[in-house]
Amino acid sequence: MALVKEEDSHKYMGFALQQAKLALEALEVPVGCVILEEGNVIASGRNRTNVTRNATRHAEMEAIDELVEQWRKDRLSPSQIAEKFSKCVLYVTCEPCIMCASALSFLGIKEVYYGCGNDKFGGCGSILSLHFGSSQTEQGQGGKGYKCRGGIMAEEAVSLFKCFYEQGNPNAPKPHRPVVQRERS
Amino acid sequence: MDSDAWEIIHIPDKPTFSPEHQPTLKVYASVIKPNFANTIVRHLCKIASLEDLRHVKRVRKKILPDHGEPQLTVILCLAPEDNDDDMPPDIQKLVDPYELSPFITEVCKYAAVSKEEWEEQCKLWPTSFHPPTYNIDGIGGFSEEDTQSICKFMRVAIDLAVCGHKTIVNAAVIVDPSVKRIIASETDQVYPSSASGDMTSAETKSFKERGESDHCQSIDTVTDASSEMCLNGILENLNSSLSTVACLNPWQWSLQSHDDESKWHPLKHASMVAIESSSARDRYLFPNSTDSFINNHSQPSDADCPAKKQKTNSHCADVHNDNKEALRDPLIEKPYLCTGYDIFLVWEPCTMCAMALVHQRIKRIFYAFPNPTAGGLGSVHRLQGEKSLNHHYAVFRILLPGVAHNALHQDLKCVTAES
Repeated sequence: MALVKEEDSHKYMGFALQQAKLALEALEVPVGCVILEEGNVIASGRNRTNVTRNATRHAEMEAIDELVEQWRKDRLSPSQIAEKFSKCVLYVTCEPCIMCASALSFLGIKEVYYGCGNDKFGGCGSILSLHFGSSQTEQGQGGKGYKCRGGIMAEEAVSLFKCFYEQGNPNAPKPHRPVVQRERS
Repeated sequence: MDSDAWEIIHIPDKPTFSPEHQPTLKVYASVIKPNFANTIVRHLCKIASLEDLRHVKRVRKKILPDHGEPQLTVILCLAPEDNDDDMPPDIQKLVDPYELSPFITEVCKYAAVSKEEWEEQCKLWPTSFHPPTYNIDGIGGFSEEDTQSICKFMRVAIDLAVCGHKTIVNAAVIVDPSVKRIIASETDQVYPSSASGDMTSAETKSFKERGESDHCQSIDTVTDASSEMCLNGILENLNSSLSTVACLNPWQWSLQSHDDESKWHPLKHASMVAIESSSARDRYLFPNSTDSFINNHSQPSDADCPAKKQKTNSHCADVHNDNKEALRDPLIEKPYLCTGYDIFLVWEPCTMCAMALVHQRIKRIFYAFPNPTAGGLGSVHRLQGEKSLNHHYAVFRILLPGVAHNALHQDLKCVTAES
């Protein structure tokens, strides 16, 4: 299949970065994402781990839940929903963590494009390579893989993280850096 | 093994080998004269330091039966695996001056993780053994009291997994071990059919509506009789289909027929639902802690005093919630995620759930059955051994009485592969 044009991929990553900025303004870890179907944004998400006190509420999970909710409302069956996911493309500002990378494989997403790498938790090449799917596929067991490419507007994604860590994470148990006042843009 | 006994085993951060079959490496060694020992060892440390073999003793001391003096043998250097006759020139130069007679021998490649392994290693070549120093309770063994409460909580999980469902699902019970209190107990919600009629997800019903009794259940309410039944139920069903256990078949969610009436979600594995439930409990019992922080944050005078704000001070939250459990029970402290909590799972979690439990800062994981298709705690991946992660939990498997454990692993492989 034809890869997304550079111009388009920057446009979509721009939407994801917008979500990440919203997260930063809400004092959340600045990661954002959008999910596309045939070039149209059908869901977006941003990290909401602090406000929910649920450290699994990553941007990807927020966007996925929005879609599942909508499709269930539309009375789609599980197999129709699986069919839908197999045509979806995700743009996320930071490499999906091991949890999200697994989840995207379970759902059978088509493609994932990310900004900066994630050398602590990354599940698409940095720590584990879950986008290759599982090796135990001989019996048709599943273990779906997906196409994955990083490095799209990575500097922008990293600069948001820098802002976040400079302002300090107010919800970390013991602050590594003091929390400072920040002008809201 | 006593068939009535429950056994708890630690699943370490590295793969284990049977003590008799540990991986080995070849090395060049030579008997040396005791008066050369110091000089030669000092010299060898410079030219052939054994960086990855710190657990291996450089010199072996053997008392021979008919000699009064001990015999010393020293490791000269690593030997190439494929070629037996090439010794590095640096080492070759030592042969004549020190009257060496090099030979090839084997040493264990990895440091021993148990006393049994260590004893076996020393038969080959002496090594040193440092018992694990993690500071998590249980790795060095459990007290009788702890064992009993761990087994009881595992029974709660098994109860949930079997009873009240049309098919077997995974179950997750999050526990605060310091007060032996259940924080959350949930099952898979991946398939419409797997949730029983009265089970409702944390999403559809707020914590308040569900009633606190669900969440703060005392362990004493668990009757042994009912869980005995469920335990038997699970053992019978291990020979039938386990295709509805979410973590065992995470890619299979779309194969189910659907039912418009009930909630389902492809990623709502038991651990994910239990994490959501425990965070809902946190938000309900301590509703203002985030708000109060944000208020402080807008006051410049507080800005350079982070420590003050970081304290998870529950007093201000309690003032407005005097009807809530937090005030009635001084033992309830505001948690930071699931720090200090245990989770009990019937099946080893998949990699998604295992990583979710890292994120949520779970302290210890107990599971009963391994997950050969997607397990994240030793079966496929081993997150407790991924050094780069910012949090590490201790992992234990509970061997249930009356289960042939080796056979079980094979059965599971067959069952999941056929489904």
